[in-house]
Amino acid sequence: MYLKRKLASFIGKTTLKTLRLLKKSGSSYPGKVALSVDKDVLSELAHDYETIIITGTNGKTLTTALTVQALKQKYPNLLTNSTGSNMKQGIVSAFLSHKAKKGEKKIAVLEVDEANLVYVVPHLKPKIILTTNIFRDQMDRFGEIYTIYQKILDGIMLSPETIVVANGDSPIFHSASLPNKRVFFGFNYQEDSDLQAHYNTDGILCPNCEKILRYRSISYSNLGKYYCPNCQFKRPNLDYAVTNIDLLTLQESVFDIDGHTFTLPISGLYNIYNALAAYSIASLMGISVEDIKTGFKQTQRVFGRQEIIHVDDKSLLINLIKNPTGLNQVLDILQFEKNPFTLISVLNDNYADGQDVSWIWDGQYEQLQDMPIQQLVVGGKRHQEMSLRLEVAGFKKENMIIAASIQDIIEHIKHAPTKHINVLATYTAMLELRKQLSLQGYVKGELN
Amino acid sequence: MKTIRICHLYGNLLNTYGDNGNLLILQWRAREHGYNVDTTIVSLDDPFNPDDYDLIFFGGGQDYEQRIVSKDIQHKKDAIISYIENNGVVVAICGGYQLLGHYYTSAVGERIEGIGAIDYYTTNQDGRYIGDITIYDEETGFTYEGYENHNGRTFLGENVQPLGIVEKGFGNNNEDKTEGARYKNVFCSYFHGPLLVRNIHLADYIIEKVIHQKMA
Repeated sequence: MYLKRKLASFIGKTTLKTLRLLKKSGSSYPGKVALSVDKDVLSELAHDYETIIITGTNGKTLTTALTVQALKQKYPNLLTNSTGSNMKQGIVSAFLSHKAKKGEKKIAVLEVDEANLVYVVPHLKPKIILTTNIFRDQMDRFGEIYTIYQKILDGIMLSPETIVVANGDSPIFHSASLPNKRVFFGFNYQEDSDLQAHYNTDGILCPNCEKILRYRSISYSNLGKYYCPNCQFKRPNLDYAVTNIDLLTLQESVFDIDGHTFTLPISGLYNIYNALAAYSIASLMGISVEDIKTGFKQTQRVFGRQEIIHVDDKSLLINLIKNPTGLNQVLDILQFEKNPFTLISVLNDNYADGQDVSWIWDGQYEQLQDMPIQQLVVGGKRHQEMSLRLEVAGFKKENMIIAASIQDIIEHIKHAPTKHINVLATYTAMLELRKQLSLQGYVKGELN
Repeated sequence: MKTIRICHLYGNLLNTYGDNGNLLILQWRAREHGYNVDTTIVSLDDPFNPDDYDLIFFGGGQDYEQRIVSKDIQHKKDAIISYIENNGVVVAICGGYQLLGHYYTSAVGERIEGIGAIDYYTTNQDGRYIGDITIYDEETGFTYEGYENHNGRTFLGENVQPLGIVEKGFGNNNEDKTEGARYKNVFCSYFHGPLLVRNIHLADYIIEKVIHQKMA
């Protein structure tokens, strides 16, 4: 058994080296090969690593990146799956490609797909599992938010020694009892009032008595200082908290966690949650506040998420949209755009985008009405439904430009009447746009 | 200006899969017809008074929320049935559609009671019916395009008409070529994705029914 695992590990590493010799990337395939030799190869590869797992529907990639940057100040050679291969074989591949330095503490920071937790946890025996949030996402794959949470719980249950770090502002993460040590993070910067979540929000029922939860404060969606008006259920005490938001612009966020001020070169409340999550992990791992600050400043924008591209004299901000909560957060960020701008909305329904585009109807596009939008361009495979959504949101059809192709969109970018251009694009639309911009020399480098 | 009063039934619990699009389209078309729109969410423990509304929109949700709605709606049952019998206009999608019938069986096999306002029942299956669907409405002569994603299999009673005949897709049960239900001024369907977004002619037809009822 032991030999088989060694052999699987050896074959996986050889596959990886071969792919590298052929100048091919190996974010997933070597793991697949190694797993075909021994399905337990991950236990062999991970046995002396201290592992941190980050999961949840939104924010995994950036939380992982921020955690890595913070931890790197102390552990410069840690292992991570930064390419976003977050299924089992991608994780095996990440271990295969990592070379630990002699005498160094072995640390792994991994983004793991919600449904894959149950397959990797028994092998990794993680020190920490962090859950960012659970929102409607890939409904065709999971069906319900409660199904997603159950999958996460099934994974956590396999490792009672693991510390569970959860978003305390999300009611679902306080609804089940666990044998694990639990740590909660959340937002504590607003005055108390009495609120209800927006009607079009999931997960707002009290898990004890099934009444509709109320809130002392709401950061967005169903996240906030919730309480049940009928029973004792309420937000748990927070171990780590955002205590103030100092500045939010289109490019930058400045905020306080536990009284310390942090700067992030990225906008949006949801990214402040991601930073708070990373801060919580880093604190538990004994990283100093100063080192965390340094790490956050070094964090690059994640590919296609709030990425700025210069096209001649135009400044293009690309925002990836993929589910209602993420979309609403991006729409919130656009409120910081004070300059007149061109809005380009590209909706595709390829497999990687999700083939059911109905989620755009859960987006609060109505708020675009209050923004200085000078020109509106609509494109993508489902541009008809997108333009209808914008028409219902109050834009006149005759004022919309329909772009027939990605090339057409780039022409509209080059000839836009404004210097500032904001793009909302689904995953494959973002890739196509970036590819075209790269072919024309406006973007360096490809997706790694 | 005249006002159309919409009841968004359990609107803060049943709103999955972009069902809000149906509500937005109804509000938009009502405004295009020259009406103000006043939308009220009637949810858990709230009273439902049939005289207060010209249109009910009843969306679909996750099994967990639908189970809780199923208990609460029993207190509103008589009032909703009276609204329907008096030709009140209702648009019900997916879970809302199922709960207007006798009962439905959840994905895990639990029997969840409806209010029996219309004669049909819903069972579950192992898989889901997912994909594009086209149906033909014999009453209006309209064709409706949509997207379905449901676990339930609904069987209509003898005197209940379908919303349309399936030309492509699964429909109510993948057996009898029916999709949705029509009873008096109630329009039921499994289309979300959402029904009225892709079939604005149906939204206009429904708004005309509402206006006609208001005149009556």
